[in-house]
Amino acid sequence: MAEVTFNGVVKSFGSFTAVHGLDLKIDHGEFVSLLGPSGCGKTTTLRMLAGLDFPTSGTISIGARIVNDIAPGERDIAMVFQSYALYPHMTVAGNIAYPLKKRGIPKAERGPMVHKTAELLQLTDLLDRKPRQLSGGQQQRVALGRALVRDPQVFLLDEPLSNLDAKLRGYMRVELVELHRRLGRTMVYVTHDQLEAMTMSDRIAVMEGGKLRQFAPPDVVYTEPANRFVAGFIGTPAMNLIDGTLSSEGGAWRFDGPGISLSCPPLADHADAGPACLGVRPEDIAFGEGPISGVVQVVEKTGHENIVVVTLANDIRLTGRVPAGQYWHPGEAIQCQIDVGRAHLFAEGPSGVRLNRPAVDHGISLSQHKAQSSG
Amino acid sequence: MIRKIAFNVFAWGIVLAVAFPLFWMVVTSVKPQFELFRRPPTFLPETYTLEHYWRLLSQTNFLIYFRNSVILSTATTLTVVAIATVGAYSLVRFRYRGRESMAFLVLFTYLLPSVVLIIPLYLLLVSMGLANTIFSLVIAYTTFALPYALWLLRSFMAGIPEDLESAALVDGATRLGAFRDVILPQLLPGIISTALFTFILSWNEYLYALVLVNSDSARPLTTGVMNMLVSSFNIEWSLLMAASVMMSVPLIIVFAFLQSYLTRGFGAGGVKG
Repeated sequence: MAEVTFNGVVKSFGSFTAVHGLDLKIDHGEFVSLLGPSGCGKTTTLRMLAGLDFPTSGTISIGARIVNDIAPGERDIAMVFQSYALYPHMTVAGNIAYPLKKRGIPKAERGPMVHKTAELLQLTDLLDRKPRQLSGGQQQRVALGRALVRDPQVFLLDEPLSNLDAKLRGYMRVELVELHRRLGRTMVYVTHDQLEAMTMSDRIAVMEGGKLRQFAPPDVVYTEPANRFVAGFIGTPAMNLIDGTLSSEGGAWRFDGPGISLSCPPLADHADAGPACLGVRPEDIAFGEGPISGVVQVVEKTGHENIVVVTLANDIRLTGRVPAGQYWHPGEAIQCQIDVGRAHLFAEGPSGVRLNRPAVDHGISLSQHKAQSSG
Repeated sequence: MIRKIAFNVFAWGIVLAVAFPLFWMVVTSVKPQFELFRRPPTFLPETYTLEHYWRLLSQTNFLIYFRNSVILSTATTLTVVAIATVGAYSLVRFRYRGRESMAFLVLFTYLLPSVVLIIPLYLLLVSMGLANTIFSLVIAYTTFALPYALWLLRSFMAGIPEDLESAALVDGATRLGAFRDVILPQLLPGIISTALFTFILSWNEYLYALVLVNSDSARPLTTGVMNMLVSSFNIEWSLLMAASVMMSVPLIIVFAFLQSYLTRGFGAGGVKG
């Protein structure tokens, strides 16, 4: 069993702390994405798991074994680098065979293993080529091949798709998910692309400033962001975040912001009256009629839908998502309405916590969540 | 058009000015003794002879000096390249206090004129009992070739992505294994050009050889030939030219084979990527 556990892991470079006390438990066979903006500590976290960087404090375990002091080559992991890191002076076959060679597997056995991997990744015709003679997509497959050939316990992938063009990226996403399903191995995937994280992962670990902001399945991260940062980071176009005041009248909560006033969905016990932030997904705004009035600033056509940007009082902007048929001219006055049942409320501040009453317990493990969603 | 012709004439003029002494050296070395001082001088020899070469090889210490130079240059090159390679690896890959300032201090030693260092070095070598040996020259040459080699290899090393080494480590290599399997092959052009620079530097060096060594058994070609053929009263022009040709030939051969690496070496560190 290869679950991966980070226990209070801190990583500092001099006076700069890249990772602040990370606690994370990745189940066996799970596909987990570390997602966050650049500089959030996700690659540092992956490199620590690989053994290429060492935690300043805390422990990292793979299975039952604490690996803090174990060399990268002895952790039974494989890693795909963003730059692919193919050995330029070796052929494709040489690259794929290298991890086998380093583990003392006899030459006679290496050949068939390399061929099997090459077949799986459609690299058989390229085995004698050098990396520089390959296209980006082919190089990427060789890098994957080098990781796959040995059947390690844990796969680490550091933005492996970021150097590919959009079409190939979409194709490789499906391939990777399929590969994960077939191998059943634990995979840790670092990305700054939320689409990759949302489409491929069993769970997403959203990181910011070296801190874990939420660790939950993609749908939960989207529908119940744990705090304002996750709310603003996940989703395109981003969630509308409007600062205002929360007040309580006879047990019912109200939110008042510039041009917006609404009664709130059920809030958790830790909600307090005072400054707060309202979050509304673009698809949860209906245009045409409603209590909120504004002026259409721009309507962006994406083909299958239109993105409407409306300016409210105090220059507050509200972004909505409507079917492709609906269109308003810029400058036109417009009324709109927020689906209160789907609105999110956060405490004040850039990483204010979610105040809504939880629908799903965030502490649950993957297997429990899977059981819940299938049941 | 005229500008282009003028430029070509100018360029060829420079080439000829540089090449003529070399041409004259070769021509003089194959002229018989009586033709050397004829006036007006003959441009191409009327009769060709290899007698000077024969005399040089059979009647002088030339071969001993040649052997000394080969040993000296090879030993210096091996020492310098070995130290500079691991030094550059350390300066590029590891993070430690004083790393940058150490790199600059190393370069600073290169900026000091040789004349300033030569006397202290001489005294040092005498007290170590190494004076008047080939080994003393290897040490001396290493002191001035190493800083440059270190900087040259450092820029080559910096161009090798760290991910390559990380990948090798994850693939199961030790740090030394990753260095041997992945870094060294990538560094080969840098190593070859550094080796070539060092070899040329030690092959042509004169000042240190003059001061540190004064017995025939340890003299390299540069001082050996001068000592043997140039005296206050007489210069053996024909032998000197033959010796010069034979001193240049090994360098020309090595250079011709490795020229492409050398020009890559000149460009290293100029542009990233």
